[in-house]
Amino acid sequence: MNSVSPMTGEATPLALAVLSEIATALARLAETGEETTIDLKSLPLSPDDLARLGELLGEGEVRCDLEVAGRSEVRETGFSGVWWIRHLGLGDEVALEEIAITFVPEILHAHPDDVARAARRLAEAVTAPLADEEETPRG
Amino acid sequence: MDLLDFARGPAINVAMAVLVFGVLWRLFALLFLGKPVDRTIPRLGTPGPFWAGLREIGRRMLPHPTFATAERFAFFNGWVFHVGLAIVVFGFRPHILFIKNLTGLSWPALPSGVIYAVGAITALSLIAALVKRITSPVQRFISTFDDYFTWVVTIAPVLTGLAAVGHVGARYETLLAIHILSIAVLLIWLPFGKLFHAFLVFLSRGQTGAFLARRGV
Amino acid sequence: MAEFATLGERLAEHGISRRAFVKYASYLGSLMALAPEVSRSMAAELAKARRQSVIWLSFQECTGCTESITRSYSPTLEDLIFDFISLDYHETLMAASGEGIEHARKEAMAANKGKYIVAVDGSIPLKDGGIYSTSAGQSNLAILEETCKDAFAVISIGTCAAFGGIPKAKPNPTGAVSVADIIKDKPIINIPGCPPIPEAMTGTIAYLLAFGKVPELDHLGRPKAFFGDNIHDRCYRRPFYERGQFAKSFDDEGARAGWCLYEVGCKGPVTYNACATTKWNGGVSFPIQSGHGCLGCSEPDFWDKGGFYVPLSGSVGPTAKLVGGAAIAGAVAGLAAAAVARHRKSSLNKG
Repeated sequence: MNSVSPMTGEATPLALAVLSEIATALARLAETGEETTIDLKSLPLSPDDLARLGELLGEGEVRCDLEVAGRSEVRETGFSGVWWIRHLGLGDEVALEEIAITFVPEILHAHPDDVARAARRLAEAVTAPLADEEETPRG
Repeated sequence: MDLLDFARGPAINVAMAVLVFGVLWRLFALLFLGKPVDRTIPRLGTPGPFWAGLREIGRRMLPHPTFATAERFAFFNGWVFHVGLAIVVFGFRPHILFIKNLTGLSWPALPSGVIYAVGAITALSLIAALVKRITSPVQRFISTFDDYFTWVVTIAPVLTGLAAVGHVGARYETLLAIHILSIAVLLIWLPFGKLFHAFLVFLSRGQTGAFLARRGV
Repeated sequence: MAEFATLGERLAEHGISRRAFVKYASYLGSLMALAPEVSRSMAAELAKARRQSVIWLSFQECTGCTESITRSYSPTLEDLIFDFISLDYHETLMAASGEGIEHARKEAMAANKGKYIVAVDGSIPLKDGGIYSTSAGQSNLAILEETCKDAFAVISIGTCAAFGGIPKAKPNPTGAVSVADIIKDKPIINIPGCPPIPEAMTGTIAYLLAFGKVPELDHLGRPKAFFGDNIHDRCYRRPFYERGQFAKSFDDEGARAGWCLYEVGCKGPVTYNACATTKWNGGVSFPIQSGHGCLGCSEPDFWDKGGFYVPLSGSVGPTAKLVGGAAIAGAVAGLAAAAVARHRKSSLNKG
C-alpha cells in the first residue's frame, strides 16, 4: 500500500513509515507510560510527506499558541497522546518540528521555579494595590 | 595536501603517464618489429589474412565444442566479470566525468543503483575466478606471480569503489582516495603484466588466425 | 545580583519562563541529534548554569564569522544564546572603546580564570615576526598566547581560525597558521565554515555551558553533532545523483530541474557540515539549494583543491602535458626498441 500526497498525487511512503513508528510509540505510552519524541526535521520528509502525515494524524481537541522566545504551537492530533509541536524561530521559519508521544508535552507544564516566582509576585500584587490606593486617592 | 589531494593530483597523473608511455612503448615495439618474409605458398580456398583474423577473433568468443563442458565455468565467469567491469568503468557517471575531464568525451550514464549491483556481481565473479585458479591443480600449476598480482590490482578498484559508495570502513574522502590510488596501481601495472591483453587480445588472435589460415589449418 | 544569578533567574527577571529553556534545549537537541532525555537534562542544566564569559579575538579574517553569529533579529529562539553568554571582549564590535576595552579583557581573564572561553576568528600570521596583523600594539600571536593561558577552552570560529583558511591559501604570504598550530595545552573546538553556520557556533557554546565539557569531536576537532555527516549524504538532491541525473552547466535544463550538481564541481561528498540539514538564515536555504555546488568551505585548504568547478572524480594538475609527454616518450621508446630488434635480426641473418 502506498500513501499518496494530497498536493501532487505523488507517493509518500515516508509518511506511512513515520506513522507506524508513532503507532508503536503510542502503544508503548499506553502500556508503560514511556514517552517518545520524534524529530521531524531530522527525517528526510518532503513537504508532501509532512502534509500527508498531518492528514493521517488529523486534528484533536487541544490547540495551544505559545509566546516563548518566539512563537510555538502545540496541537493534539486525532490520536490522544500524540502531539504535533512546532517551534518557530527567525522570521517565523519552523526551527523545530516534532511529534511528542506523551500525556502532556513538557513545554506546556509550568516549571516549579516559575510557579514559586509567580506566587511571590501575585502575593505582592495582592497587597500592593491596597497600598497604592491609600497613597493616591482617586481624583 | 591530504590523501585525496595526492590521489586526484600527482598519483593519478603519474599513473596515466606511465600507462600511456608503457602502452605505446609495447605496441610500437611490437607493430614495427616487422614480419619475417613467408616464402610458403598460401593454401587455396582460404580467406585472406584480414578475414581469417576476424574469423578467428569471432570463433574464440565461444569455447570449442570439444571443451564446452570443461570450459563452461571459465567461459561464463570470464564473460561476467569482463562485461561487469566494462559496465562499471564506462557506465558510472563519476567515471564518465573522469574521462570527460581528460578527453572531453561524454556519454549517458547508467543509474547508480545498477552500477552498484553490477559492481557487486563483478567482485563475486572475480573471487570465483581466483577460487577456481587455486583449486584447479592444472591452473594452479601454470599460475605465476603475474596472474595473482593482476587479480589483486583488478579486484582492488572494484572493492574500494563499492566500499566508497557504501561508506564501509572509513570516511568517504579516505575511501575515495584509496579507490583512486588503487586505480593508479592498476594503470601503472597494466602495460607490464598480463593485463596488457586488453590491448593485445584481438591483435594476437587475429594474427594467429591469419597465420593459420595461410597454412590451411 | 545579575552577574551571579543563574541563567534561569536572569531570564525570569526579564519575564522569560523556564519554557524558553525547554524550547531552546529541544531546538539544540534536534540540531545536535541528542537523545530526548539528554536535551531534557540540558534544559535543566542550562537554567542552573551561570552566564559564560566569552572573549572573542579577531585575527586575519573578514568579519564574516561575526556577521554570521550576529545575523539574527530579537526576540527569537536562536538568539537566546546572547542571554547565556557575556561577551566580555570582542575586538571588532568594541573597537570604538579603544584602550578601555583592553582592560576589560584583562579583567574578564582575571575574574574568570580557568573558566572563560576564548573564541577566535581569523588565522595567525607568523612570518616576519607576525607583523602582518596586530592590534593594540600586540601581534596576534602574543594576544592569542596571553589570552588562552587561563582559558577553559578555545573555540576556533571559521575556517581561518580552524585550519588557516584563505589567508593560508597558496602562496600564504603572511605565513598564516591555525589556532591549533599554536595552542597545544587547551581543548580546542573547531567550528569551520566560511562562515560557519551560526547554530553550529551557538549550539557548541550552549553545550559547553550546559554540560561543562567539550562535545564529541571528529579527527579534525569539529563537533560531530554538526560535522558528522557529509553534505552529499544529507542533500535533498541526492536522489538525482543515484538516478544519474546531473546538471551539466548552471543554466541548462537539469540545473532548472534541480538535478545533482556533481558534474559542475560540487564538493558535497567530501565536505562535512550541517548545511544540508540545518541550512542557513533560520533554515531558509543553503548553497546547493540556491543552485551552486558546495565549495567545501569547512574543510582544510578548500581554496587549493584544484578548482571549485572540477568534478570530484576528475584529476587535477597538469594531466594533459604529462600524458602528452608520456605518449611521445612511449612511442619513441617503442620505435627504438623495434629498430634495435630489426637491426639485430638483420645482422643475425647476415651473419
